[in-house]
Amino acid sequence: MNTRFLFPHACKAIGFVLAIPAFILMIFNIHYGFEFPFLEYHAKADHISLDNGLLFNIQSNNFTDELGGVTLIIGLLLIAFSRERQEDERIQKLRLESLLWAVYVNSIFLIISIIFFYGNVFLNIMAYNICTPLILFIARFTLLMYREERSLKNDNL
Amino acid sequence: MKNTVRVERAILNITQAELADKINVSRQTINAIESNKYVPSTILALKIARVFNKKVEEIFTLENND
Repeated sequence: MNTRFLFPHACKAIGFVLAIPAFILMIFNIHYGFEFPFLEYHAKADHISLDNGLLFNIQSNNFTDELGGVTLIIGLLLIAFSRERQEDERIQKLRLESLLWAVYVNSIFLIISIIFFYGNVFLNIMAYNICTPLILFIARFTLLMYREERSLKNDNL
Repeated sequence: MKNTVRVERAILNITQAELADKINVSRQTINAIESNKYVPSTILALKIARVFNKKVEEIFTLENND
């Protein structure tokens, strides 16, 4: 009885390799305006059209944040939804409960942010909010698994 | 729901890890079942009963508040 929508266990390591550099890149991008020069794009001069914000109409953009954001989300997904070494029905229950917990906590944070923060601070919070549900889930699930491991050791002493 | 997995395991003289291996779950799951923290699915209960060569009802029994 196994969930179909999980990645193989090995993907967890790949997830960390992708997510950690991408997270650091995004921090520098959001707070210090860091951008890779080679990801700079300008539309050709004769290409005059209205910049309506869609990919094929933009006049100029730096794609550092796009690269970082996509890599971060893929990395976090791999960390969050890779099988444990021995994935069984009880671990899946813990997984679902952690996911529920993460959605609740994230929503509460979001409600508080909507009420208390405005302008640029709020925009930054929304940027972080792209990945906070996954990060909260990973933190909660890892904590639960760690606690189990420790209580098992204590029981067998 | 209570169960006699710990007792049955002692009779067969196998460890939590050995039982876990036989039914393809983690050791933590056996531990959680024995300490009544986790109620196994029907499939898992049947597998456990098969290892001990008993009926499910002999190992798992309902309590008054269930």
